[in-house]
Amino acid sequence: MFTFANGVHPKGCKELSAGSGIGRGPEPKNVYVPLSQHIGAPAVPVVEAGERVLCGQLIAKAAAGLSANVYSPVSGTIKGVVGHITLSGKKKNHILIENDFLEEKTFLPHMEEITGESVLARIAEAGIVGMGGAAFPTAAKLNVQGKNVDFLVVNGAECEPYITCDYRIMLEYAQEFLQGVRYCMLAAGVKRAVIGIEDNKKDAIAKLSSLAGDGVAVKALKTKYPQGSEKQLVYSCLKRVIPENKLPADAGVVVVNVHTALAVYKAVAEDTPCYERVMTVSGKAVATPKNIWVKNGTLYRDVAAFCGADENCARIVSGGPLMGEPVFSLKVCTGKGTSSLLFLDESECESKNAEPCIGCGRCVQACPMGLSPVFIERALFDKNYEEAEAYGAAYCIGCGCCSYVCPAKRFLVQSVKLAKKEVRARADKKRREAEKKNG
Amino acid sequence: MAEINQYKVACSPHKLDGATTRRVMLDVLIALLPCLVCGVVFFGLYALMLVVICVAACFASEQVYNLIRKKPFTTDLSALVTGVILGLNLPPRAPWYIPVVGGVFAIVIVKMLFGGLGKNFANPAAAGRVFLLLAYGSAMTSFIGADIAGNILSADVTTGATYLGGGVGALADGFLGAEGYWGYVLQLFLGKVGGSIGETSALAVLIGGGYLIARRVIDWRIPLVYLLTAAAMALLCYGSANEILLQLFSGGLMFGAFFMATDYATSPKWKYNRVLYAFGLGVITVLIRRFGSYPEGTSLAILFMNLLVPAMDRFLVPVRFGQTTKKGAPKPQVMKWAMRGLCLVLALAIAVAAPLVSYTEVAFYKGDYAYIQSVSRDFSGKYVFDVKGTAELGKFSQPLEYEIQADAKSQKVVGIRPITQSTKGYVAELSFFEGKTYDEIVALKDLSTDAQTSATYTNIALKNMIVECFSALDFELGKYTDLVLQEEYTYISGAERSGAKLRFTVSGQADLSSPSRPYFQQLEYVVTIENGRVKYIQTVTESTKGYTVDRALFLGKTYEDILAMTEEGIRADGTTGATITNVKVRDMLLECFESECFASAAGGEQV
Repeated sequence: MFTFANGVHPKGCKELSAGSGIGRGPEPKNVYVPLSQHIGAPAVPVVEAGERVLCGQLIAKAAAGLSANVYSPVSGTIKGVVGHITLSGKKKNHILIENDFLEEKTFLPHMEEITGESVLARIAEAGIVGMGGAAFPTAAKLNVQGKNVDFLVVNGAECEPYITCDYRIMLEYAQEFLQGVRYCMLAAGVKRAVIGIEDNKKDAIAKLSSLAGDGVAVKALKTKYPQGSEKQLVYSCLKRVIPENKLPADAGVVVVNVHTALAVYKAVAEDTPCYERVMTVSGKAVATPKNIWVKNGTLYRDVAAFCGADENCARIVSGGPLMGEPVFSLKVCTGKGTSSLLFLDESECESKNAEPCIGCGRCVQACPMGLSPVFIERALFDKNYEEAEAYGAAYCIGCGCCSYVCPAKRFLVQSVKLAKKEVRARADKKRREAEKKNG
Repeated sequence: MAEINQYKVACSPHKLDGATTRRVMLDVLIALLPCLVCGVVFFGLYALMLVVICVAACFASEQVYNLIRKKPFTTDLSALVTGVILGLNLPPRAPWYIPVVGGVFAIVIVKMLFGGLGKNFANPAAAGRVFLLLAYGSAMTSFIGADIAGNILSADVTTGATYLGGGVGALADGFLGAEGYWGYVLQLFLGKVGGSIGETSALAVLIGGGYLIARRVIDWRIPLVYLLTAAAMALLCYGSANEILLQLFSGGLMFGAFFMATDYATSPKWKYNRVLYAFGLGVITVLIRRFGSYPEGTSLAILFMNLLVPAMDRFLVPVRFGQTTKKGAPKPQVMKWAMRGLCLVLALAIAVAAPLVSYTEVAFYKGDYAYIQSVSRDFSGKYVFDVKGTAELGKFSQPLEYEIQADAKSQKVVGIRPITQSTKGYVAELSFFEGKTYDEIVALKDLSTDAQTSATYTNIALKNMIVECFSALDFELGKYTDLVLQEEYTYISGAERSGAKLRFTVSGQADLSSPSRPYFQQLEYVVTIENGRVKYIQTVTESTKGYTVDRALFLGKTYEDILAMTEEGIRADGTTGATITNVKVRDMLLECFESECFASAAGGEQV
C-alpha cells in the first residue's frame, strides 16, 4: 500500500455527495468576482463601470509578478469595482457584475499548434490557478525550465472528508481530465505522470486505469489524511522526499490538482478560460448535497439557497472540515480555489474547550511532518522560540492532524502556526541583519 | 429560505477525534478491573477495602487541594486512575492508613504541587509506592499467600513469601495438574501467589493491557519492549532461560509495564524515545531484582526513567519529513534504525541464547547420593547439578552449595558457580576443577591451598561432589548391555558392558557389630572399570550414619594397586565402621577384576 508516515483517519462522510453527478449551479443576479483569487498580487481591472461584458471576457489582467487573469463568469453589465468582504474578514476589491441572463459567451482564440510553450502561455492566459485550494498560479508552477523534472504527479487523493468534486470529475470527465494531464505534461516537459487516488474511490481508480497508459499511471493510495498534501502525496506516489525549504521541482516532480488538469483541458481544447469551477456542497444541514458548477463570484448565500441549506446549521466551512476556513458571513463569494462549502449540523462538529495537556503524545504520532506539536505549544507559551524551532515549528503544513487527535481538545495547530509565524519572522530578521552586515 | 443565523464560527479542524481525557481515563479504569477482580478473589474483601480507601484518598486530596488553591474542581478521572493503580500496588493486608498516606503523597506532593494533570515529572503511583516502601518498610513487604476461600472475609496477617522474595519455595509444587517448572509458570501467570493486590495475575494484566492497546490508549511499544528487554536481561543475569517466564510473570513487572510505565505525562512522546525508555526500564528492573537490595525493582526503575524523560524529549527529537543536514543531504534516521536494531538484537539474543540455556530437569533416582540435590540438562547436552554438602572446618561445620556444570560427552567440568560457602575466605579453588576432565580430577592429589587448611577441606568436599556428579551421570544415563554370568560370585550380582567400560553390581554385608549390639550393614555398589582402572563407584545402598566408602582410595587404581592395599592403608580415621566398609569394597573390587568378564575379554571370546 502506498502511503506516508503518521497522519490520521477521520471519517470520510463522502457518501453524502459522492452519488450526485455534477450539475449546474446557481445563476446569481449579481456576481462579485474577486480580483485576488490566487496567491500573489491582485489582478488589475481592465473594464469600466457601465461596460457590458460577455461570459468569458477578460475583466482583470494579471499584475506584474505572480498573479493571474480574471474572466467574467456571466454576461452582463459592470457595476464597478467594489470593496467586498472576504473569508479572512478583510475587505478586498471585487468586480461587481449584474447578470443579464443572456449567457452570451466569448472564447479565447483557437490554438493552431499545441506545443509545450504554447500550452504554458495558454495556461497563463486563461488565468488557471491550483484548484485544490492553494490557488497557486499554475503557469508559474509548470514552468520548471532549468530544473531536472521527470514526473508529473496529479493529486486525486482528495483526502479531506466530505469533498467529492475531484472524484466526480475523474468519473464524469475522465477523457477530458486525462487529456488535460497530457497538456500539463507537455507544458512541464515531462514524459511520465502518475495520478494518485485514495483507495476509497475504487471506481475512479478502475475507470482511469482503463483509460490511462502511454506514460500516465494510476496509483491507488491508502485512505489517510493528509494524503493530498503535496509533500506527502509525492512521497506516497514516488517515494521521493521533497527537502525542507525546497519546491517539488527540486525533487524532480511537479504536482497539479485534478480540477486544474480539467481547467487546462478546457483552456487548451475548448478555448474556455477559467471562470467557474465544480464545488461540493455537503453536510447534514443541506437538503440535497451536490456537486455543482459554480461561477466565480457567486455569493455563498446563493449557493446555500440553491442547495437548500438548513437554517439551523451549526457551522459553515469553506473547504474541508480539517483545514477549511470557518465562514462568518454568507456574503463572502466563491473563487477559483473554493473547492467546497459545508453546512454542518450539531452532530458533525462539536464545540470544544481546551483542557490541560495530559502529555499523551498523540499529536507527535499523528504529525505527518515529524514535528512535536505538544512541545512547540509549550515553547510558544514560554516564548522560547529557539526551542519551538528545534521541534520544527517552521515546517508546519497546517494540516490539523494534531488538533484532530488531541484528547484534551487543545488548539494545537493554531499554536504551531503562531509559533511558525514567529520563528519565520525571526529567521527573516536574522537574515536581513546578516545581509546588512555583509553589505 | 429562512436566513441562517444560528451558526457558530470556530477555527479548524471542524471534526475531532472521539477521544477525550475523561474517556481515556475511563478506559484505563476499565482495563484495571480484571486486576482488581483477581486481587479481591485471591486476597479477599480487605484488599478491596484498601483499594477503595486509596481511591477515596486520591480523589479527596485532589479536590481539597483545588479548594484551597481556589481552582475549579477537576472532573477528569485521573485521580481515580492514580488511586486504583496505587491501591493495587499495596500488600493485601497493609494497615488502613497506608493507602491514605500514599494517596495524599501521590496526588498532592507528586502531582498537584507540580501543576496538576500532565505536569508531574514522576509517575504519582510509582512515587507513592516507593515512598511507602521507604516509610513503612515492613508493612509494605509483608505479603500473604493467595487463598480464594480463606482470604475472602479474613483480615489476618499471616506472612507468606513471594517468588521474588523467596524463590520457587514460595510456589506450590503442582498447580492445576502442571508439575515442576510449568506448574510454577502457570501459577504465576494466573496469579495465585503472594504479592501486591493487583499485580500477581499476569493474565489479568494482559487482558487489561490488551484492551488499552486495542483502544489505542497506550502505545504497545512500551510494554512490549519493556518485557522483551526484561526477558533478555533475565537470560543474561540469571543465565537460565527458565528464569525468563518466572521473572516476567512475578512481582509488579507486567502490571508496571502496562499500567505504570505507559503513564502519559511521564513517558516520552516520540515512539523511538519510548522504545529507548522501555529498554532502560527493562535493564534497571532486572538489575535491581538480581543485584539490588530490594526484591522488586519495577517502581524504582519507572521513577528513575521518569527523570530521564524530559532530557530524552528535548534532545532526541523526531527527524522531520524532508529534514536535511547542513550540507543538504537527508538527515539520517539514527534513532529509528538504532531502536529497531536494538529490538532485533534483543529478540535474536533471546531466540539464540534461550534454547542454549534452557534447562529441563532430569530425574535421578536410582542411586543414593550424598550431595546431588537436583539435576537439569540444557539443549547442548550440558548437565547442571545442584550439590549441597558440608565441610568440617575444625569445630565448625560449613554448609556448601555449588552449581556444577558438566559436559557428559567430553567428561569435563564446564563451570562451577558457588552458591553457599564460607564467608571468611575459606572458599574452594575453582581453577583446580574448571575445564578439567573427570579423570584429571580423580587423579588430583594435592588439593591444598597455601596454609588454608579449611580451604583445602572445602576443595576436597568439592572434588567429592564432582566425582559424585560424573558417576551419577554414568550410572543413571550410561547405556549398558547386560552380560550373562556363568560363575558363582560372592559379591557380584550382575555385569554390563558399554564399549570399553564394564560395570558390576556388587552387594554384600559389612559387619559393623559392636560388642553389645550386632549390626550388619547392607552394602550395594555399582562399580565401573575401564581400561583396567576403577572409573566410578556408585553407591546404591550403604550406611546412612556416615560409615561410607572413601572413593578416593580406589578411583583410578589398577588391580595391582588394590591388591597391594592393606587394611592399615585403607583405615578411615576414627571410624572403624568406615574402615570395615572400605575393606569390603576392596574385596568387592578384587572380585570384579578377577571375574570371568576380564578373563574372557582377554581370551577374545564374546560373553
